[in-house]
Amino acid sequence: MSRLEEREAALLALASRVVELAGRGESLEAYALHNVGTSVSAFEGAIERLTSAETLGVGLRLIVGGALGFAATSDVSDEGLALALAEARSNAELGTPDLGNVLPSPPTMLPEPVPGLVDGSLPDVPAARKVAIALELDRLTASLDPRVRRAEGVSYGDAATSVAVCSSAGVAASYSRTDAYAFVSALARSGDETQTGSGFTEGRGVDALDLTAAAREAVDRSVRLLGARKPATATVPVVLDRGVTADFLGVLADAFSADAVQKGRSLLAGQLGQRVASEIVTIVDDGRAAGSPGAAPFDDEGVATRRTPVITAGVLTGYLHNTETAAREGGAARSTGNAARGSYATAPGVAPTNLLLDHPGIDPADVLRMAGTGLYVQQVSGIHSGVNQVSGELSVGATGLWIRDGELAEPVRELTVSSTIPDMLGALLAVGNDRRWYPRGGSFAGCTVLIGAMTVAGS
Amino acid sequence: MLDESDVRDVLAAALASGGDWAEIYAERRDSTAIHLEDHRIEQLTSNRLQGAGVRVVKGTQSAYAHTNVLRRAALLDAAKAAAAGIAGDRPVSVADLTRTEPAVRHPARLAPHQVGKADKVAIARRCEEAAWAEGTEVRQVSVSYADVAQRVLIANSLGQLADTTRIRTRLAASVVAARDGLVQTGFEGPGASKGLEHFDEHPPEGIGALAAQRALRLLDSVPMPAGQMTVVLSAGGGGVLFHEACGHGLEADAIGKDNSVYSRTRGERVGSELFSGVDDPTLPGAWGSYEFDDEGTPARSATLFDHGDQVGVLSDRISAHRIGARSTGHGRRQSYAHLPQPRMANSLVLPGSDDPAAIIADVTDGLYCVELGGGEVKSATGDFVFGVNEGYLIERGELTRRVRGATLIGNGPRTLALVDAVGTDFELKQGMCGKGGQWVPVSFGTPTLRIASLTVGGTAA
Repeated sequence: MSRLEEREAALLALASRVVELAGRGESLEAYALHNVGTSVSAFEGAIERLTSAETLGVGLRLIVGGALGFAATSDVSDEGLALALAEARSNAELGTPDLGNVLPSPPTMLPEPVPGLVDGSLPDVPAARKVAIALELDRLTASLDPRVRRAEGVSYGDAATSVAVCSSAGVAASYSRTDAYAFVSALARSGDETQTGSGFTEGRGVDALDLTAAAREAVDRSVRLLGARKPATATVPVVLDRGVTADFLGVLADAFSADAVQKGRSLLAGQLGQRVASEIVTIVDDGRAAGSPGAAPFDDEGVATRRTPVITAGVLTGYLHNTETAAREGGAARSTGNAARGSYATAPGVAPTNLLLDHPGIDPADVLRMAGTGLYVQQVSGIHSGVNQVSGELSVGATGLWIRDGELAEPVRELTVSSTIPDMLGALLAVGNDRRWYPRGGSFAGCTVLIGAMTVAGS
Repeated sequence: MLDESDVRDVLAAALASGGDWAEIYAERRDSTAIHLEDHRIEQLTSNRLQGAGVRVVKGTQSAYAHTNVLRRAALLDAAKAAAAGIAGDRPVSVADLTRTEPAVRHPARLAPHQVGKADKVAIARRCEEAAWAEGTEVRQVSVSYADVAQRVLIANSLGQLADTTRIRTRLAASVVAARDGLVQTGFEGPGASKGLEHFDEHPPEGIGALAAQRALRLLDSVPMPAGQMTVVLSAGGGGVLFHEACGHGLEADAIGKDNSVYSRTRGERVGSELFSGVDDPTLPGAWGSYEFDDEGTPARSATLFDHGDQVGVLSDRISAHRIGARSTGHGRRQSYAHLPQPRMANSLVLPGSDDPAAIIADVTDGLYCVELGGGEVKSATGDFVFGVNEGYLIERGELTRRVRGATLIGNGPRTLALVDAVGTDFELKQGMCGKGGQWVPVSFGTPTLRIASLTVGGTAA
């Protein structure tokens, strides 16, 4: 057995040991997580920080008489686990009995494994190799363009993660995954002016990283903003960079959550079967998408992941459920495998696995041509404060380039773009064929898109 | 939490192959979280988090390893892992440990463990019921109660030992209101470095009612027209602007690496002469306060701007070393699993001499912001953006229509220079600040502030 396999087996044994502590009339679930990672940051040709991290913890979900109590601990000794169970019991005593408080029943078949989640060599990569990756990305970034003399910062990170879920309802499942990434922010200078641009590369292991591409991306994105000015206020067609599309998918994600719908917090509540977007918009949550960062065989309560279309050709066709939100629908829904936890220390909520615009798309250059004159948004800021999740109104800061005659022209900064999420979905006129996965506190696939009109505020 | 002789041995192991200094940071954190939504207890969670990290530092380089097993053998393993990350030739000795005393304490009168869970649920319920009671247009109420008791021990090879307990309490209400298809949200969430006596000062009912009233008020709002205009920020409401537009740019990591728009203006006049600002972690009982920072340096106030002159920075040990200074006591980390970074605690703009009412009355055409939402800034350029949660148009010196969907966008130093009125009033607000993937509690406080001209984004067609 490899080191990672051994760790996963030990974790499954830990979770099952917890479940054996359940008393009569108690439903108990243990979610155990073991994460071993390294991170490195470099600055001006030297290593700044090297961190070795190991996290092990377990979250206990206890249901008694329909009431839920939760407790978590990073102390996995017998005493630590007993203390956590006592906390969960006292929390359940105060809980409100609810239809939604049920644990998933075990699947008739074990979830199909998802291939390619592990690069078995990662746990054995020496720290020196990781240090060399960070230094190399730092060096490359400073060598591509005379206006970029150095990086603002460079980081490398990796993690080998094992997850185990066991419950008194009969669930017993585990899997492991590995992840590696490198990130760089380039600093372009011209006279007194400074602009930044970022690039990244990610994969299952260090061999999957393309450092040259990440450096090139960061340098190009910083340099092309030099000389940026504030544009005049106008309402124009807007082309979103694929990373910005991923940002907006991230904002839209919560609207698809059945939990948000049931609580009246979703702007898509009550619109199943209705047109909510232009015909070219098909959005799918795919927990098994090939090559996606968010792929896993089962969700954070052990339910098999799957493919769930939420918008099909502009029509709202579904919401994302975990076991709790499905149970609240009283048999009208079942879990879509979208239970998600922030960490072992939180009870599951609902979140997308991998959210993507499902469209073959056209050449991104043709998307620009369709826009004619307008704004190309390279980066947005303040997206989490600038979007009202409930009303869908949005106004965010942006930097980018003006589009003239269907091509990128002069850079612009210090502007805001505004619209509403329903208006943006309705005015989505073209999709590029340049899909790329972005880890943005979730996994979202970006591609270049054209929005027919948005308000751009400058001077 | 840890035995002093174990601490010494761990520090010695960390420096076995050299380095300038080493440190151990250990914590045990007990927290309770209650979440009510849809008239029911959605979550009642207890969490115990414990762990320790060992850091070896050489110049501006650090190697770090952490574990959540607080036993001698695991700590020695972490020390060896950290030591392996720093190249040195010979062992460095560890000085005798001396306990440091803080300049100020933030004692809790009613610690979380002295109050039963049922009573904590009752506090959240009172808040929830008050929000629902604001009327039939209230469609959803969610309430979050959180308390944390964190015991921290920090020791370093230079001989400093700090031991501190931090208690924080917060209650937040988020309300959704709707009328004729228009849906709006309101939020209120005061927190403090106090125990449950916090709720004597901030009764739960008031928090729920205020959040509901904010959501209801927005139902009467019109979309904001975009353009360039004079902007007045209410007392407290402008705090996040100072935090984003100045505070982050004055953190010594960005300054020392010349990654901040403020790197090249140290000692120069940057802001209007009406503008003075500090960061003060010693503010008694404030949400962002502490006794020691997360490197064991006693908390003290740092002056950032004095009548428009840029005079100071916020630093931890390493960023201070980079600029040839001493730590200002602003090294903070989210938990033992993170390395410290220079961070704000309670960032404050000091009151001035203008009558707050007159500040508005003098504006012909502008925007009055009662409350700003979160924001973002690029330290390298100083460009910032943030949302306006509650705002009013100012027309001929009067507050007229309530507006929604407004966004402020600008540049830090240029905005500071355009401050043309500072009120005699002052208010403090609370939030969570994110940097480098780490979240820490912060407060921001301001008087009423006026900015002569700023770009405002809006959703009006």
